[in-house]
Parts: sequence; C-alpha cells; structure tokens
Amino acid sequence: MSAETKFLDIAGKKTQVTIGGQGPPLLYLHSAGGETDWMPFHEQLAQNFTVYLPAHPGFALSGGLEQIRDIHDMVWHYVDLLAALGLPRVPVVGFSLGAWLAMELAVLRPQLVEKLVLVNAAGVRVENARMAELFIDDFDEMRNLLFSDPDNAEIVQLAMPTSLDDPRILMWLRAREATARVGWNPYLHNPRLPQHLHRIACPTLILWGREDKLIPLPHGQFLAEKIPGARLEIYDHCGHMLPFERSEEFAARVTQFLH
Amino acid sequence: MPALSSDPTALATPRGICQTGRDATRRWPLLLKITMNFFAFHLMPWDRLPADFDTKYKSAWTWLPNSIYDPEHGHELYNRYLDELVLAEELGFDGVCVNEHHQNAYGTMPSPNLMGAILARQTKRVKIAVVGNALPFYNPPTRVAEEFAMIDVISGGRLIAGLVVGGGPEYYSFTINPTFARSMYHEALDLVLRCWTEPGPFEHYGEHWKLKYVNPWPRPLQQPHPPIWIPGAGSKETIDFVAERRFAYMGIPYFHIDFFEKNFNAFRDACLKHGYTADPEQLGWLCPIYVAETDEQAWADYESHLFYFAKQLLKGLVVLPPGYTSARSIAGINKALGQFLSTVETREQIERGAYAIVGSPETVRRKFLEHIERLGVGNLLGLFQLGTLPADLTRKSMTLFAQEVMPGLRKVLNAGPSPVG
Repeated sequence: MSAETKFLDIAGKKTQVTIGGQGPPLLYLHSAGGETDWMPFHEQLAQNFTVYLPAHPGFALSGGLEQIRDIHDMVWHYVDLLAALGLPRVPVVGFSLGAWLAMELAVLRPQLVEKLVLVNAAGVRVENARMAELFIDDFDEMRNLLFSDPDNAEIVQLAMPTSLDDPRILMWLRAREATARVGWNPYLHNPRLPQHLHRIACPTLILWGREDKLIPLPHGQFLAEKIPGARLEIYDHCGHMLPFERSEEFAARVTQFLH
Repeated sequence: MPALSSDPTALATPRGICQTGRDATRRWPLLLKITMNFFAFHLMPWDRLPADFDTKYKSAWTWLPNSIYDPEHGHELYNRYLDELVLAEELGFDGVCVNEHHQNAYGTMPSPNLMGAILARQTKRVKIAVVGNALPFYNPPTRVAEEFAMIDVISGGRLIAGLVVGGGPEYYSFTINPTFARSMYHEALDLVLRCWTEPGPFEHYGEHWKLKYVNPWPRPLQQPHPPIWIPGAGSKETIDFVAERRFAYMGIPYFHIDFFEKNFNAFRDACLKHGYTADPEQLGWLCPIYVAETDEQAWADYESHLFYFAKQLLKGLVVLPPGYTSARSIAGINKALGQFLSTVETREQIERGAYAIVGSPETVRRKFLEHIERLGVGNLLGLFQLGTLPADLTRKSMTLFAQEVMPGLRKVLNAGPSPVG
C-alpha cells in the first residue's frame, strides 16, 4: 500500500499532508522528531484506517512557521486543517509534541476529537520528574536520551539522523527550530493546560515507555489522573520513542482501541 | 572617530579614496591610509578551573557549576582586571573594550555596563567600547538606551555602543526563545536608536515589546548617538545589514585570518552595493596578543596560557540553539569551525592562521603591519589577558606593545600607501 503526499494552503500556510490506507479516518500528529515520512507503524495503522499524516508548520515541507508564536497558534492550525480535510470528527493519535497538540485540540474543540491516543506526551510539567534537555546537538547523547536501546541501529536510523552528513539533516534542523518555537519557554509544556484537562471527555488511551528519560513516566501518571476515564498502559524496556521501539505492538494496540 | 550612525550623511567621507569599483577595493589597502585605533579588550575570564575540568565537564558555559566560582578570588580578579584597563589609558591606547557573557568561565562580566560605568570615572581620555549589550536579554530594551546614555554622559561622550544578539549558550542560560533571537534583536536595535534620535515620549508597538511611553532620560552626549559596533561571524545577512546602516562590523574572534579577510571583503562589497566606500574604521579585528623581549621568551611565557584559553575557556562556546541562525548559516558556521582556535593544536597552526600574534616587538609589529594591511581594518582590538596569564606578564606585554609596537604601526599605517609589492 502506498501513501500519497499533497500540499494544502491552510490560511496562508503551505501544509504537507500524507494520506494512506483504507477505512475510517485517523489523524496522526507527529513528534518533535518530525516522523512525516511514511513509517512502518503508519503502514500498519493504514490496514484499518485512512491515516492522515500532516507535517506541523515548519516541519518537513510545511511552511508557515512565521505565523506560529506558540502552541495555541499551532492548535488553531489543526482546527483549520480538519475543516479543509472535511473531517468533522476523527480519532487523534499523538506522539510527544503531537500528543500535546492533541490534548490542546481536545480542549479547544472537543467535538472534533472522537478518541484520543497519547504516546509519551509532552504538554504538562510534573514537579520532581524533570524533563531532560531535548535541544542538544550531540547525536550520541540524543539517542541515549530517546531510546531504551540506543545501540539498536536499525530502529535509531529509522527515527533520526546520526551524523551531520545524513541527508535528512536539513529537515532535522527545521524540526528542531519549529519545536523550539512552541516548546523552548515554557519548556515543552503549557502551564495552563492541567486546569483544562478535565474538559477532555472522549475515550483516552495513554501509552508510555517506562524508561522514557526525556519525559519521565510521572507525566503519564499525572495525565491519567487528570483526564477523566483515561487509561495508562506502560511498556517495559521502552524509552521515549515508543512507536519506533514497539512499532507492531503500538499499531496493534491503537487499532484495537479505536475499533 | 567619525560618527558611524544610521544617518548616511553623518558619515565622514573616507579619506584618500575615490570609488573605483569592486576590483580596486580588493587591493584597497594599497590605496589609502589607515588611521589606526588601538583598543585593549578584556573578557575578565576565570583563571582557576578544576584539574579534572577536561574530563569532568563538557563545557565552560551554561552548566559549569557556579560553585567553582570563588568570590574571594573574584574580588582580586575584578580589581586587577580593571587596573589593566586603566593601565591601557596610561600606556596610550585609544580605547578599552568590555563585553557581556553569562553563566560561564570564559568571561565573568554579565554586566559590562557596570564596568563601563567604573571606567567612565577611572579613565579620562580613552574610548569605552561596550561590545556589547545583548539586546534580547534586556526587558524592555529601552534599558540599553538608558544605561548606554548614562555611560556616554558620565564619560563625556566616550562610549562606543555595541549592540549584539547574544551568544548561543546564553539562550539556554536565560531560556529566551532562540527562534525569536533575530526578530527581537532587530526590533530592540531600532527601538534603541529611536530612543536616541526621536523626541519622546513616543509609543512603541512591536512584535515583542509594547510600550506606551518611551521617553528615556538621559539622552546620549554624542549626537546623533554614540558610534555603533556590531559583531558578525560572516553571515551574509549581518554583513548586509551593518553595511546598509553604516555601522561598524567587528569580526567575531578566534578564527583563521583567511576567514576574516573573506568576511571583511564581503563587507566592503556590501558597502559599495549600498553606494559608498567602507571606512577602515568600520572594521575591527579582535586578536590575542602577547609581546615579550624575544620570540622565544614570548612563546615560553605564553603558550600554556593560550592553550588554557583555547581548550578550556572556549569549550562549549559555539552552541547553535535551534532557530538562532538559519539552517543554511548553521552549515556555514560548522564549516568555518575547521578554522577556529579551539580546534588548533600547535604553535605552527597558531602562527599560520594568525589566531594570536606572539613574539618580540619587532615580530609583532611586522606581523600586524602585514595583517592590518591585508584586512584593511582601522580598529585593532588586542586581547592581552586570556585567563591564566599572570598580572605581571599581562602588564609587561601591554607595555611592550604600547611602547614598541603601536608607535611603529601608527607611523607606517597613518602615513598612507605602502610600497606596491
């Protein structure tokens, strides 16, 4: 099965959207790493869903970062994008930065979000569970931070460049810049989000790698307490990059939850 | 020094040159005299890092624990370093330079304006170049207009105002969003200049600051405003901006001399593009200098201190947080880092790249003559103290430079065209 990439003009922002698969729609909101290429877990989800994979403003070939000042501008972009795609109500799967956006969307426009899957989510800050520094240049430090097994070259290579010579480096630098735009200060969270989490009424599944060093597990436990009816499932021997580290289990669990 | 201002008519016509076009500027040092200005530049570096620094710490910046800072020793250092700048005036330098760095061992001068204020009282003649204030870190940036005006008024119009974007590590130290660094900088720079040139009160509604009543007291003594210096590491955007506004461009230091030459040529080209010929006083080169009785003595005195600076204090300086520069610029800077002092390993490399000028008065004079003519700079910013270099050697080197190097350079350079070679 092949996915198709197209470009939409969303309120003046050139927006890259990759669409693939068959079945009811599913919106996948990517992480700070910018997994906007069609990944194995996208392919697996596409067996049962029509997967919509947009690149956030400033990521991949999406433009419009100059119109984004904070996470709220980015969330409004998704209100506009869903209208343009003709998706009045859709399950949303968000990973890390994407999960933060998914929560903000579910608070801002509850009727748009049918179900919510949050994977190693950014968006809130928990006291005494300090988030690590994401904005580092050293690729070795980066993979140690993100993966439970940083020496699994196949998985690491799929997810991120490992040297400045990697052809993906320009996109990586763009992804870092766009992430910093919304996540530098406050660092990867919105201090006002927790007081709104009680408004999320749709069925919510939270998935977390127990060994996540970037956004430690207490953040997942916090979200599970604050979001009504949310269910937290923890993966042992798994770090921040759960969709890559547990690709098949992840896609299977999401498929099961959304059916 | 002619006013280097945003007002094109305020710039004195450069001496002794007619606009002969691009090719002529390439060879231009042969065509005109250079009125040299010699500055003594101080970083006020920390000179005591732990013995295990190399292995234990990845950087002298941002995260180096401030428990390493010893205030008792800091008391001695600050006073000694200020004395060295006061000495520069006594020795006949034209100016002194201080600059701003935060949370690091490389330069323990988070507020250069405090030092500028002290120097405004402790000196009587020299220019005081504060290079500079990192505009995005001042909230609101009208504080820079105020404090610089204070130093200018107190000193009797001796301030040179450096307006800088701030270093990459400092965007971590202050958690200021680096993706806004450039737009904050440009908004703040325009606001500071408006403060100095437009009658207040006025209102400012920008992207980053909204100010209902802008009306800073005092106003600067120099009119329309103090000379503006802006540092750059070769980015085309910065060169073009500084050239267009007729400010002065200071090469960000510690690169191979080829790198400076390329950037300064690009600056002169940019000035021509904007319809005028660059004045040498619009260019400055900051360079570590050490002078002793002989070449051998100089290297014996200096080598270990230079490498303390290059390997320890510079460690972690070059950090490019996301959005701080364009992705294209990051690629360019990464390439240029092959020509950066921290990567240098031997005395031969230092000499070949002119990363530092070290030697007897005669050697140092000869080298500077050659390099200044090659670069076409009217401001030489000498870094005479760079960390562990002791007070007596620092004073010896400054004295030898002032007494046995500066006069010869002034004589030759101020006299005009050198023989065509």
